[in-house]
Amino acid sequence: MSTVTAPSTSPPRRASAEDLARKTERADRLRTWGWRLAGYLFFLGLWEFSSGRLMDENLLPGPSAVFATFADLWATGEVPSAFATTLTRIGIGFFLAFVVGVLVGMLMQNRWLNGFFRDAVTIGITTPGLIWALITAIIFGNREAGPLLAIVLTTFAVITVNVSEGIKSLPKDLIDMAKSFGVGVLKRNRHIVLPHLAPFLFTGVRFGFSIAWKVTVLTEVFSSSSGIGFEMRTATQLFRLPEFLTWILAFYILALFLEKVVLEVIERRFFSWRTSLKA
Amino acid sequence: MLFRALKGPLSGRLTFPLVCLGVWLLTIELVASIWPFAVDVLPTPWQVAGFMWDEITGNTLAPHNVYQTFWISLQRLGAGMLIAMVVGGVVGLAMGLSKSVNAFFNDWVVAILAMPNLAWALFCSLAFGFGDTGPIIAVVLTGVPYVIINVREGVRNAPSDLYDMARAFGVPRERAIRHVLIPSLMPFLFAAGRYAFALGWKGLVVAEVFGGQDGAGWTIKFWYDAHRAYGVIGYALLFVIFALFFEKFLFDKLSRRIFRWRPEASVAEEAFDQPPAVTTEPQRTPQHG
Repeated sequence: MSTVTAPSTSPPRRASAEDLARKTERADRLRTWGWRLAGYLFFLGLWEFSSGRLMDENLLPGPSAVFATFADLWATGEVPSAFATTLTRIGIGFFLAFVVGVLVGMLMQNRWLNGFFRDAVTIGITTPGLIWALITAIIFGNREAGPLLAIVLTTFAVITVNVSEGIKSLPKDLIDMAKSFGVGVLKRNRHIVLPHLAPFLFTGVRFGFSIAWKVTVLTEVFSSSSGIGFEMRTATQLFRLPEFLTWILAFYILALFLEKVVLEVIERRFFSWRTSLKA
Repeated sequence: MLFRALKGPLSGRLTFPLVCLGVWLLTIELVASIWPFAVDVLPTPWQVAGFMWDEITGNTLAPHNVYQTFWISLQRLGAGMLIAMVVGGVVGLAMGLSKSVNAFFNDWVVAILAMPNLAWALFCSLAFGFGDTGPIIAVVLTGVPYVIINVREGVRNAPSDLYDMARAFGVPRERAIRHVLIPSLMPFLFAAGRYAFALGWKGLVVAEVFGGQDGAGWTIKFWYDAHRAYGVIGYALLFVIFALFFEKFLFDKLSRRIFRWRPEASVAEEAFDQPPAVTTEPQRTPQHG
Protein backbone atom coordinates (compact mmCIF):
# COMPACT_ATOMS: atom_id res chain seq x y z
CA MET A 1 0.00 0.00 0.00
CA SER A 2 2.76 2.43 0.83
CA THR A 3 4.26 2.08 -2.63
CA VAL A 4 1.17 3.70 -4.15
CA THR A 5 1.71 6.95 -2.28
CA ALA A 6 5.47 7.11 -2.72
CA PRO A 7 5.69 8.39 -6.34
CA SER A 8 3.55 11.49 -5.61
CA THR A 9 6.32 12.99 -3.46
CA SER A 10 8.78 13.38 -6.34
CA PRO A 11 7.12 12.45 -9.62
CA PRO A 12 9.51 13.93 -12.23
CA ARG A 13 12.79 12.55 -10.90
CA ARG A 14 11.36 9.14 -10.25
CA ALA A 15 9.81 8.92 -13.71
CA SER A 16 13.10 9.77 -15.38
CA ALA A 17 14.99 7.25 -13.27
CA GLU A 18 12.39 4.66 -14.17
CA ASP A 19 12.69 5.60 -17.81
CA LEU A 20 16.43 5.27 -17.67
CA ALA A 21 16.20 1.90 -15.98
CA ARG A 22 13.69 0.76 -18.56
CA LYS A 23 15.87 1.99 -21.38
CA THR A 24 18.98 0.21 -20.15
CA GLU A 25 16.91 -2.86 -19.56
CA ARG A 26 15.60 -2.73 -23.10
CA ALA A 27 19.09 -2.25 -24.50
CA ASP A 28 20.26 -5.13 -22.38
CA ARG A 29 17.51 -7.38 -23.64
CA LEU A 30 18.17 -6.32 -27.23
CA ARG A 31 21.84 -7.14 -26.87
CA THR A 32 21.07 -10.50 -25.29
CA TRP A 33 18.72 -11.37 -28.10
CA GLY A 34 21.29 -10.22 -30.64
CA TRP A 35 23.90 -12.54 -29.15
CA ARG A 36 21.40 -15.34 -28.93
CA LEU A 37 20.55 -14.92 -32.62
CA ALA A 38 24.25 -14.82 -33.41
CA GLY A 39 24.62 -18.10 -31.57
CA TYR A 40 21.89 -19.70 -33.64
CA LEU A 41 23.37 -18.36 -36.86
CA PHE A 42 26.86 -19.48 -35.87
CA PHE A 43 25.97 -23.04 -34.92
CA LEU A 44 23.51 -23.65 -37.75
CA GLY A 45 26.02 -22.10 -40.15
CA LEU A 46 28.81 -24.27 -38.77
CA TRP A 47 26.64 -27.35 -39.19
CA GLU A 48 25.67 -26.40 -42.73
CA PHE A 49 29.25 -25.48 -43.59
CA SER A 50 30.82 -28.67 -42.24
CA SER A 51 28.50 -30.94 -44.16
CA GLY A 52 30.18 -31.58 -47.47
CA ARG A 53 33.28 -29.54 -46.63
CA LEU A 54 34.76 -30.77 -43.35
CA MET A 55 32.92 -34.08 -43.38
CA ASP A 56 31.33 -36.17 -46.06
CA GLU A 57 27.86 -35.01 -47.01
CA ASN A 58 26.51 -38.50 -46.42
CA LEU A 59 28.01 -38.62 -42.96
CA LEU A 60 26.84 -35.21 -41.81
CA PRO A 61 23.85 -33.86 -43.71
CA GLY A 62 23.29 -30.16 -43.09
CA PRO A 63 20.14 -28.58 -41.68
CA SER A 64 18.76 -27.83 -45.13
CA ALA A 65 19.11 -31.48 -46.11
CA VAL A 66 17.34 -32.51 -42.90
CA PHE A 67 14.45 -30.17 -43.67
CA ALA A 68 14.17 -31.51 -47.20
CA THR A 69 14.13 -35.08 -45.87
CA PHE A 70 11.45 -34.19 -43.36
CA ALA A 71 9.25 -32.89 -46.18
CA ASP A 72 9.81 -36.15 -48.10
CA LEU A 73 9.00 -38.28 -45.06
CA TRP A 74 5.93 -36.22 -44.31
CA ALA A 75 4.73 -36.75 -47.86
CA THR A 76 4.93 -40.54 -47.46
CA GLY A 77 2.58 -40.33 -44.46
CA GLU A 78 4.77 -42.41 -42.13
CA VAL A 79 5.43 -39.61 -39.70
CA PRO A 80 2.10 -39.25 -37.85
CA SER A 81 1.62 -43.00 -37.36
CA ALA A 82 5.16 -43.53 -36.04
CA PHE A 83 4.77 -40.56 -33.69
CA ALA A 84 1.40 -41.81 -32.51
CA THR A 85 2.78 -45.29 -31.79
CA THR A 86 5.69 -43.97 -29.76
CA LEU A 87 3.62 -41.38 -27.92
CA THR A 88 1.04 -44.01 -26.94
CA ARG A 89 3.80 -46.20 -25.57
CA ILE A 90 5.27 -43.32 -23.61
CA GLY A 91 1.83 -42.42 -22.30
CA ILE A 92 0.96 -45.89 -21.02
CA GLY A 93 4.43 -46.63 -19.69
CA PHE A 94 4.76 -43.29 -17.97
CA PHE A 95 1.33 -43.61 -16.39
CA LEU A 96 2.29 -47.01 -14.96
CA ALA A 97 5.62 -45.64 -13.76
CA PHE A 98 3.84 -42.75 -12.09
CA VAL A 99 1.43 -45.04 -10.26
CA VAL A 100 4.22 -47.36 -9.14
CA GLY A 101 6.45 -44.45 -8.16
CA VAL A 102 3.78 -42.75 -6.05
CA LEU A 103 2.78 -46.04 -4.41
CA VAL A 104 6.37 -46.89 -3.48
CA GLY A 105 6.95 -43.34 -2.29
CA MET A 106 3.94 -43.62 0.02
CA LEU A 107 4.93 -47.07 1.27
CA MET A 108 8.42 -45.81 2.05
CA GLN A 109 7.08 -43.81 4.99
CA ASN A 110 7.08 -47.04 6.94
CA ARG A 111 10.51 -47.67 8.41
CA TRP A 112 10.72 -51.31 7.43
CA LEU A 113 9.46 -50.71 3.91
CA ASN A 114 11.84 -47.78 3.64
CA GLY A 115 14.73 -50.17 4.12
CA PHE A 116 13.05 -52.63 1.79
CA PHE A 117 12.73 -50.24 -1.13
CA ARG A 118 15.88 -48.21 -0.56
CA ASP A 119 18.14 -50.35 -2.71
CA ALA A 120 15.43 -50.67 -5.34
CA VAL A 121 15.37 -46.89 -5.67
CA THR A 122 19.17 -46.63 -5.79
CA ILE A 123 19.34 -49.30 -8.47
CA GLY A 124 16.50 -47.66 -10.40
CA ILE A 125 18.33 -44.33 -10.44
CA THR A 126 21.84 -45.56 -11.25
CA THR A 127 21.19 -48.31 -13.81
CA PRO A 128 21.42 -47.14 -17.42
CA GLY A 129 18.22 -47.47 -19.44
CA LEU A 130 20.17 -49.51 -21.98
CA ILE A 131 20.41 -52.42 -19.56
CA TRP A 132 16.68 -52.56 -18.95
CA ALA A 133 16.10 -52.20 -22.67
CA LEU A 134 18.34 -55.20 -23.44
CA ILE A 135 16.97 -57.39 -20.64
CA THR A 136 13.35 -56.74 -21.52
CA ALA A 137 14.11 -57.20 -25.20
CA ILE A 138 15.68 -60.60 -24.64
CA ILE A 139 12.88 -61.77 -22.33
CA PHE A 140 9.81 -60.32 -24.02
CA GLY A 141 10.96 -60.21 -27.63
CA ASN A 142 8.87 -57.75 -29.60
CA ARG A 143 5.82 -57.99 -27.34
CA GLU A 144 4.35 -54.75 -26.07
CA ALA A 145 5.11 -55.54 -22.43
CA GLY A 146 8.89 -55.19 -22.87
CA PRO A 147 9.15 -51.46 -23.52
CA LEU A 148 6.51 -50.73 -20.90
CA LEU A 149 8.42 -52.63 -18.23
CA ALA A 150 11.64 -50.88 -19.23
CA ILE A 151 9.96 -47.47 -18.90
CA VAL A 152 8.56 -48.32 -15.48
CA LEU A 153 11.90 -49.61 -14.19
CA THR A 154 13.89 -46.57 -15.34
CA THR A 155 11.36 -43.91 -14.38
CA PHE A 156 9.63 -44.93 -11.15
CA ALA A 157 12.59 -44.17 -8.89
CA VAL A 158 12.69 -40.47 -9.79
CA ILE A 159 9.02 -40.10 -8.94
CA THR A 160 9.44 -42.12 -5.75
CA VAL A 161 12.26 -39.90 -4.52
CA ASN A 162 10.20 -36.77 -5.10
CA VAL A 163 7.04 -38.16 -3.52
CA SER A 164 8.81 -39.38 -0.41
CA GLU A 165 10.59 -36.03 -0.06
CA GLY A 166 7.22 -34.34 -0.30
CA ILE A 167 5.61 -36.58 2.29
CA LYS A 168 8.54 -36.12 4.64
CA SER A 169 8.06 -32.34 4.58
CA LEU A 170 4.30 -32.36 5.11
CA PRO A 171 3.21 -29.54 7.42
CA LYS A 172 2.45 -31.56 10.55
CA ASP A 173 1.21 -28.58 12.53
CA LEU A 174 -1.42 -27.75 9.92
CA ILE A 175 -2.64 -31.32 9.86
CA ASP A 176 -2.75 -31.44 13.65
CA MET A 177 -4.71 -28.23 13.73
CA ALA A 178 -7.15 -29.52 11.14
CA LYS A 179 -7.54 -32.69 13.16
CA SER A 180 -8.22 -30.87 16.38
CA PHE A 181 -10.78 -28.67 14.65
CA GLY A 182 -12.53 -31.80 13.43
CA VAL A 183 -11.84 -31.48 9.71
CA GLY A 184 -12.66 -34.73 7.91
CA VAL A 185 -10.09 -37.00 6.31
CA LEU A 186 -11.16 -36.24 2.74
CA LYS A 187 -11.19 -32.51 3.27
CA ARG A 188 -7.84 -32.67 5.04
CA ASN A 189 -6.25 -34.50 2.15
CA ARG A 190 -7.86 -32.25 -0.41
CA HIS A 191 -6.85 -28.97 1.21
CA ILE A 192 -3.59 -29.68 3.01
CA VAL A 193 -1.87 -32.81 1.74
CA LEU A 194 -2.52 -32.49 -1.99
CA PRO A 195 -1.59 -28.82 -2.35
CA HIS A 196 1.59 -29.52 -0.45
CA LEU A 197 2.51 -32.55 -2.54
CA ALA A 198 1.63 -31.02 -5.91
CA PRO A 199 4.96 -29.26 -6.58
CA PHE A 200 6.91 -32.42 -5.70
CA LEU A 201 4.69 -34.46 -7.99
CA PHE A 202 5.20 -32.00 -10.81
CA THR A 203 8.97 -32.08 -10.41
CA GLY A 204 8.83 -35.87 -10.48
CA VAL A 205 6.67 -35.82 -13.59
CA ARG A 206 8.97 -33.45 -15.43
CA PHE A 207 12.15 -35.39 -14.59
CA GLY A 208 10.40 -38.66 -15.18
CA PHE A 209 9.06 -37.66 -18.55
CA SER A 210 12.47 -36.52 -19.77
CA ILE A 211 13.83 -39.96 -18.88
CA ALA A 212 10.81 -41.90 -20.10
CA TRP A 213 10.77 -40.67 -23.68
CA LYS A 214 14.46 -41.40 -24.12
CA VAL A 215 14.11 -44.92 -22.79
CA THR A 216 11.09 -45.55 -24.97
CA VAL A 217 12.99 -44.68 -28.12
CA LEU A 218 15.91 -46.81 -26.94
CA THR A 219 13.74 -49.88 -26.34
CA GLU A 220 12.11 -49.41 -29.70
CA VAL A 221 15.51 -49.57 -31.33
CA PHE A 222 16.04 -53.05 -29.94
CA SER A 223 12.67 -54.68 -29.80
CA SER A 224 9.93 -52.97 -31.76
CA SER A 225 8.65 -53.16 -35.29
CA SER A 226 7.00 -49.75 -35.21
CA GLY A 227 7.60 -46.30 -33.77
CA ILE A 228 10.37 -43.72 -33.89
CA GLY A 229 13.07 -46.01 -32.55
CA PHE A 230 12.28 -48.62 -35.16
CA GLU A 231 12.45 -46.05 -37.95
CA MET A 232 15.77 -44.81 -36.60
CA ARG A 233 17.19 -48.33 -36.55
CA THR A 234 16.02 -48.96 -40.10
CA ALA A 235 17.57 -45.71 -41.27
CA THR A 236 20.92 -46.48 -39.59
CA GLN A 237 21.00 -50.01 -40.95
CA LEU A 238 20.44 -48.67 -44.45
CA PHE A 239 23.09 -46.01 -43.77
CA ARG A 240 20.64 -43.22 -44.46
CA LEU A 241 21.93 -40.51 -42.16
CA PRO A 242 19.63 -37.74 -43.39
CA GLU A 243 16.60 -39.89 -42.60
CA PHE A 244 18.01 -40.91 -39.23
CA LEU A 245 18.75 -37.32 -38.25
CA THR A 246 15.33 -36.22 -39.40
CA TRP A 247 13.53 -38.82 -37.29
CA ILE A 248 15.48 -38.12 -34.15
CA LEU A 249 15.39 -34.34 -34.49
CA ALA A 250 11.67 -34.27 -35.26
CA PHE A 251 10.87 -36.39 -32.25
CA TYR A 252 13.33 -34.50 -30.09
CA ILE A 253 11.62 -31.23 -30.91
CA LEU A 254 8.20 -32.73 -30.13
CA ALA A 255 9.42 -34.16 -26.81
CA LEU A 256 11.05 -30.87 -25.82
CA PHE A 257 7.82 -29.09 -26.69
CA LEU A 258 5.84 -31.44 -24.46
CA GLU A 259 8.41 -31.22 -21.67
CA LYS A 260 9.14 -27.53 -21.62
CA VAL A 261 5.95 -25.97 -22.95
CA VAL A 262 2.98 -28.25 -22.30
CA LEU A 263 3.98 -29.50 -18.85
CA GLU A 264 5.05 -26.03 -17.82
CA VAL A 265 1.75 -24.49 -18.92
CA ILE A 266 -0.18 -27.16 -17.03
CA GLU A 267 1.95 -26.54 -13.98
CA ARG A 268 1.45 -22.80 -14.16
CA ARG A 269 -2.28 -23.21 -14.56
CA PHE A 270 -2.36 -25.60 -11.64
CA PHE A 271 -0.51 -23.16 -9.44
CA SER A 272 -2.41 -20.10 -10.60
CA TRP A 273 -3.76 -19.75 -7.07
CA ARG A 274 -0.20 -19.23 -5.90
CA THR A 275 0.70 -16.39 -8.23
CA SER A 276 -2.59 -14.71 -7.39
CA LEU A 277 -1.56 -14.93 -3.76
CA LYS A 278 1.74 -13.30 -4.57
CA ALA A 279 0.18 -10.49 -6.60
CA MET B 1 15.08 -56.02 21.32
CA LEU B 2 14.99 -58.61 18.59
CA PHE B 3 11.47 -57.58 17.69
CA ARG B 4 12.50 -53.97 17.33
CA ALA B 5 15.41 -54.94 15.09
CA LEU B 6 13.01 -56.96 12.94
CA LYS B 7 10.87 -53.87 12.41
CA GLY B 8 13.81 -51.62 11.55
CA PRO B 9 14.96 -50.53 8.11
CA LEU B 10 17.97 -52.84 8.12
CA SER B 11 15.90 -55.98 8.18
CA GLY B 12 13.78 -54.55 5.37
CA ARG B 13 16.92 -53.86 3.44
CA LEU B 14 18.05 -57.44 3.88
CA THR B 15 14.62 -58.76 2.93
CA PHE B 16 14.61 -56.98 -0.42
CA PRO B 17 17.08 -59.26 -2.24
CA LEU B 18 15.35 -62.32 -0.79
CA VAL B 19 11.96 -61.15 -2.07
CA CYS B 20 13.51 -60.39 -5.46
CA LEU B 21 14.91 -63.90 -5.57
CA GLY B 22 11.56 -65.37 -4.59
CA VAL B 23 9.69 -63.41 -7.26
CA TRP B 24 12.29 -64.45 -9.81
CA LEU B 25 11.96 -68.18 -9.02
CA LEU B 26 8.17 -67.95 -8.87
CA THR B 27 8.07 -66.25 -12.27
CA ILE B 28 10.16 -69.03 -13.78
CA GLU B 29 7.89 -71.68 -12.27
CA LEU B 30 4.81 -69.89 -13.55
CA VAL B 31 6.11 -69.18 -17.03
CA ALA B 32 7.51 -72.67 -17.41
CA SER B 33 4.16 -74.20 -16.53
CA ILE B 34 2.35 -72.06 -19.13
CA TRP B 35 4.90 -71.99 -21.96
CA PRO B 36 7.44 -74.77 -21.39
CA PHE B 37 9.53 -73.65 -24.35
CA ALA B 38 10.15 -70.21 -22.83
CA VAL B 39 12.51 -71.55 -20.16
CA ASP B 40 15.72 -70.71 -21.99
CA VAL B 41 14.66 -67.07 -22.12
CA LEU B 42 14.26 -66.87 -18.36
CA PRO B 43 17.54 -67.87 -16.72
CA THR B 44 17.62 -69.14 -13.15
CA PRO B 45 19.50 -67.21 -10.47
CA TRP B 46 22.03 -70.08 -10.26
CA GLN B 47 22.81 -69.77 -13.97
CA VAL B 48 23.37 -66.04 -13.57
CA ALA B 49 25.47 -66.52 -10.46
CA GLY B 50 27.55 -69.17 -12.21
CA PHE B 51 28.04 -66.87 -15.16
CA MET B 52 29.11 -63.99 -12.92
CA TRP B 53 31.52 -66.25 -11.04
CA ASP B 54 33.08 -67.34 -14.33
CA GLU B 55 33.38 -63.73 -15.43
CA ILE B 56 34.95 -62.59 -12.19
CA THR B 57 37.47 -65.42 -12.22
CA GLY B 58 38.34 -64.46 -15.80
CA ASN B 59 36.97 -67.62 -17.41
CA THR B 60 34.86 -66.16 -20.21
CA LEU B 61 33.70 -66.90 -23.73
CA ALA B 62 33.85 -63.24 -24.70
CA PRO B 63 37.05 -61.99 -26.40
CA HIS B 64 38.17 -60.06 -23.29
CA ASN B 65 37.59 -60.80 -19.64
CA VAL B 66 35.69 -58.41 -17.38
CA TYR B 67 38.71 -56.55 -16.10
CA GLN B 68 40.11 -55.84 -19.57
CA THR B 69 36.65 -54.92 -20.82
CA PHE B 70 35.92 -52.43 -18.07
CA TRP B 71 39.45 -51.06 -18.28
CA ILE B 72 39.01 -50.35 -22.00
CA SER B 73 35.73 -48.58 -21.29
CA LEU B 74 37.23 -46.66 -18.39
CA GLN B 75 40.05 -45.40 -20.61
CA ARG B 76 37.52 -44.14 -23.13
CA LEU B 77 35.47 -42.58 -20.36
CA GLY B 78 38.57 -40.90 -18.95
CA ALA B 79 39.63 -39.49 -22.30
CA GLY B 80 36.12 -38.23 -23.02
CA MET B 81 35.76 -36.72 -19.55
CA LEU B 82 39.10 -34.94 -19.83
CA ILE B 83 38.07 -33.31 -23.11
CA ALA B 84 34.64 -32.49 -21.70
CA MET B 85 36.15 -30.91 -18.57
CA VAL B 86 38.58 -28.76 -20.56
CA VAL B 87 36.07 -27.61 -23.18
CA GLY B 88 33.26 -27.26 -20.65
CA GLY B 89 35.53 -25.42 -18.22
CA VAL B 90 36.54 -22.83 -20.80
CA VAL B 91 33.03 -22.31 -22.15
CA GLY B 92 31.47 -22.32 -18.70
CA LEU B 93 33.99 -19.77 -17.42
CA ALA B 94 33.26 -17.49 -20.37
CA MET B 95 29.52 -17.93 -19.93
CA GLY B 96 29.69 -17.13 -16.24
CA LEU B 97 31.77 -14.01 -16.81
CA SER B 98 29.92 -12.47 -19.75
CA LYS B 99 26.21 -12.11 -20.37
CA SER B 100 26.69 -11.94 -24.11
CA VAL B 101 28.65 -15.18 -24.28
CA ASN B 102 25.99 -16.75 -22.10
CA ALA B 103 23.24 -15.69 -24.51
CA PHE B 104 25.34 -16.98 -27.40
CA PHE B 105 25.75 -20.49 -26.06
CA ASN B 106 22.86 -21.01 -23.64
CA ASP B 107 20.20 -22.48 -25.94
CA TRP B 108 22.69 -24.81 -27.55
CA VAL B 109 23.90 -26.10 -24.22
CA VAL B 110 20.29 -26.85 -23.25
CA ALA B 111 19.71 -28.50 -26.62
CA ILE B 112 22.73 -30.78 -26.26
CA LEU B 113 21.73 -31.53 -22.68
CA ALA B 114 18.26 -32.72 -23.65
CA MET B 115 19.42 -34.86 -26.57
CA PRO B 116 19.07 -38.59 -25.85
CA ASN B 117 22.46 -40.31 -25.78
CA LEU B 118 21.04 -42.88 -28.17
CA ALA B 119 21.10 -40.17 -30.83
CA TRP B 120 24.75 -39.39 -30.15
CA ALA B 121 25.61 -43.07 -30.09
CA LEU B 122 23.99 -43.89 -33.41
CA PHE B 123 25.29 -40.74 -35.04
CA CYS B 124 28.87 -41.27 -33.82
CA SER B 125 28.85 -44.91 -34.88
CA LEU B 126 27.76 -43.94 -38.38
CA ALA B 127 29.90 -40.86 -38.75
CA PHE B 128 33.13 -42.08 -37.13
CA GLY B 129 32.92 -45.80 -37.73
CA PHE B 130 33.83 -48.54 -35.28
CA GLY B 131 36.65 -47.91 -32.85
CA ASP B 132 37.62 -45.46 -30.14
CA THR B 133 36.69 -42.13 -31.75
CA GLY B 134 32.93 -42.59 -31.81
CA PRO B 135 32.48 -43.60 -28.15
CA ILE B 136 34.88 -40.90 -26.93
CA ILE B 137 33.00 -38.22 -28.83
CA ALA B 138 29.73 -39.58 -27.46
CA VAL B 139 31.12 -39.21 -23.92
CA VAL B 140 32.21 -35.64 -24.64
CA LEU B 141 28.83 -34.73 -26.05
CA THR B 142 26.86 -36.22 -23.14
CA GLY B 143 29.17 -34.82 -20.47
CA VAL B 144 30.02 -31.35 -21.69
CA PRO B 145 26.69 -29.58 -20.97
CA TYR B 146 26.81 -30.64 -17.31
CA VAL B 147 30.35 -29.34 -16.93
CA ILE B 148 29.41 -26.05 -18.59
CA ILE B 149 26.36 -25.50 -16.39
CA ASN B 150 28.19 -26.35 -13.18
CA VAL B 151 31.22 -24.20 -13.94
CA ARG B 152 28.96 -21.30 -14.89
CA GLU B 153 27.12 -21.60 -11.60
CA GLY B 154 30.45 -21.74 -9.81
CA VAL B 155 31.69 -18.54 -11.43
CA ARG B 156 28.41 -16.80 -10.70
CA ASN B 157 28.56 -17.84 -7.07
CA ALA B 158 32.18 -16.79 -6.64
CA PRO B 159 32.66 -14.75 -3.46
CA SER B 160 33.12 -11.25 -4.88
CA ASP B 161 33.71 -9.75 -1.43
CA LEU B 162 36.77 -11.95 -1.01
CA TYR B 163 38.13 -10.66 -4.33
CA ASP B 164 37.55 -7.11 -3.23
CA MET B 165 39.38 -7.78 -0.03
CA ALA B 166 42.25 -9.48 -1.84
CA ARG B 167 42.54 -6.47 -4.12
CA ALA B 168 42.36 -4.03 -1.24
CA PHE B 169 45.15 -5.84 0.55
CA GLY B 170 47.24 -5.98 -2.60
CA VAL B 171 47.33 -9.76 -2.93
CA PRO B 172 48.99 -10.73 -6.21
CA ARG B 173 46.74 -12.09 -8.92
CA GLU B 174 48.15 -15.62 -8.94
CA ARG B 175 47.67 -15.97 -5.22
CA ALA B 176 44.13 -14.64 -5.42
CA ILE B 177 43.34 -17.19 -8.10
CA ARG B 178 45.03 -19.96 -6.16
CA HIS B 179 43.43 -19.17 -2.80
CA VAL B 180 40.08 -17.63 -3.71
CA LEU B 181 38.91 -18.61 -7.16
CA ILE B 182 40.01 -22.24 -7.23
CA PRO B 183 38.71 -23.17 -3.76
CA SER B 184 35.38 -21.52 -4.53
CA LEU B 185 35.14 -23.31 -7.88
CA MET B 186 36.20 -26.68 -6.49
CA PRO B 187 32.84 -27.99 -5.29
CA PHE B 188 31.24 -27.04 -8.59
CA LEU B 189 34.02 -28.67 -10.58
CA PHE B 190 33.67 -31.75 -8.44
CA ALA B 191 29.92 -31.89 -8.98
CA ALA B 192 30.55 -31.38 -12.70
CA GLY B 193 33.00 -34.27 -12.74
CA ARG B 194 30.57 -36.48 -10.92
CA TYR B 195 27.77 -35.71 -13.34
CA ALA B 196 30.02 -36.06 -16.35
CA PHE B 197 31.13 -39.41 -15.01
CA ALA B 198 27.68 -40.83 -14.25
CA LEU B 199 26.05 -39.63 -17.45
CA GLY B 200 29.11 -40.05 -19.63
CA TRP B 201 29.20 -43.68 -18.52
CA LYS B 202 25.61 -44.18 -19.63
CA GLY B 203 26.36 -42.47 -22.93
CA LEU B 204 29.53 -44.47 -23.43
CA VAL B 205 27.79 -47.80 -22.92
CA VAL B 206 25.16 -46.99 -25.52
CA ALA B 207 27.80 -45.73 -27.93
CA GLU B 208 29.80 -48.93 -27.52
CA VAL B 209 26.75 -51.04 -28.24
CA PHE B 210 26.43 -49.47 -31.66
CA GLY B 211 29.90 -48.30 -32.54
CA GLY B 212 32.43 -50.24 -30.48
CA GLN B 213 34.68 -53.19 -31.16
CA ASP B 214 35.23 -53.93 -27.48
CA GLY B 215 34.39 -52.46 -24.10
CA ALA B 216 31.56 -52.97 -21.61
CA GLY B 217 28.70 -51.91 -23.86
CA TRP B 218 29.97 -54.02 -26.71
CA THR B 219 30.29 -57.08 -24.47
CA ILE B 220 26.72 -56.89 -23.15
CA LYS B 221 25.58 -56.64 -26.75
CA PHE B 222 27.77 -59.66 -27.48
CA TRP B 223 25.77 -61.74 -24.98
CA TYR B 224 22.55 -60.24 -26.30
CA ASP B 225 23.42 -61.22 -29.86
CA ALA B 226 24.38 -64.72 -28.67
CA HIS B 227 20.90 -64.84 -27.11
CA ARG B 228 22.26 -65.75 -23.70
CA ALA B 229 19.78 -64.18 -21.31
CA TYR B 230 21.86 -65.21 -18.30
CA GLY B 231 24.82 -63.44 -19.87
CA VAL B 232 22.87 -60.21 -20.36
CA ILE B 233 21.48 -60.25 -16.82
CA GLY B 234 24.82 -61.24 -15.30
CA TYR B 235 26.61 -58.48 -17.15
CA ALA B 236 23.92 -56.02 -16.16
CA LEU B 237 24.57 -56.90 -12.51
CA LEU B 238 28.28 -56.32 -13.07
CA PHE B 239 27.33 -52.89 -14.43
CA VAL B 240 25.33 -52.14 -11.31
CA ILE B 241 28.23 -53.21 -9.08
CA PHE B 242 30.64 -51.08 -11.10
CA ALA B 243 28.43 -47.99 -10.92
CA LEU B 244 27.77 -48.42 -7.21
CA PHE B 245 31.46 -48.87 -6.54
CA PHE B 246 32.31 -45.57 -8.20
CA GLU B 247 29.30 -43.61 -6.97
CA LYS B 248 29.17 -44.68 -3.34
CA PHE B 249 32.69 -45.65 -2.61
CA LEU B 250 35.16 -43.71 -4.70
CA PHE B 251 33.38 -40.39 -5.15
CA ASP B 252 32.23 -40.19 -1.55
CA LYS B 253 35.77 -40.87 -0.32
CA LEU B 254 37.24 -38.42 -2.78
CA SER B 255 34.82 -35.64 -1.96
CA ARG B 256 35.48 -36.12 1.75
CA ARG B 257 39.19 -35.87 1.07
CA ILE B 258 39.02 -32.79 -1.13
CA PHE B 259 36.61 -30.92 1.10
CA ARG B 260 38.25 -31.81 4.39
CA TRP B 261 39.01 -28.16 4.99
CA ARG B 262 35.37 -27.20 4.97
CA PRO B 263 33.19 -27.41 8.07
CA GLU B 264 30.48 -29.23 6.14
CA ALA B 265 30.66 -30.64 2.64
CA SER B 266 27.59 -29.29 0.92
CA VAL B 267 28.51 -29.86 -2.67
CA ALA B 268 26.23 -27.91 -4.96
CA GLU B 269 24.45 -30.64 -6.79
CA GLU B 270 21.48 -29.50 -8.74
CA ALA B 271 19.34 -31.93 -10.62
CA PHE B 272 19.29 -30.75 -14.17
CA ASP B 273 18.13 -33.81 -15.98
CA GLN B 274 18.18 -36.64 -13.52
CA PRO B 275 18.79 -36.40 -9.84
CA PRO B 276 21.40 -39.11 -9.45
CA ALA B 277 22.63 -37.82 -6.14
CA VAL B 278 19.30 -38.10 -4.36
CA THR B 279 19.27 -40.93 -1.90
CA THR B 280 16.62 -41.67 0.61
CA GLU B 281 18.95 -42.16 3.49
CA PRO B 282 19.69 -39.30 5.85
CA GLN B 283 22.86 -37.33 5.15
CA ARG B 284 25.84 -38.83 6.87
CA THR B 285 27.99 -36.44 8.77
CA PRO B 286 30.89 -35.77 6.42
CA GLN B 287 33.59 -34.84 8.90
CA HIS B 288 35.35 -37.60 10.73
CA GLY B 289 38.84 -38.13 12.04
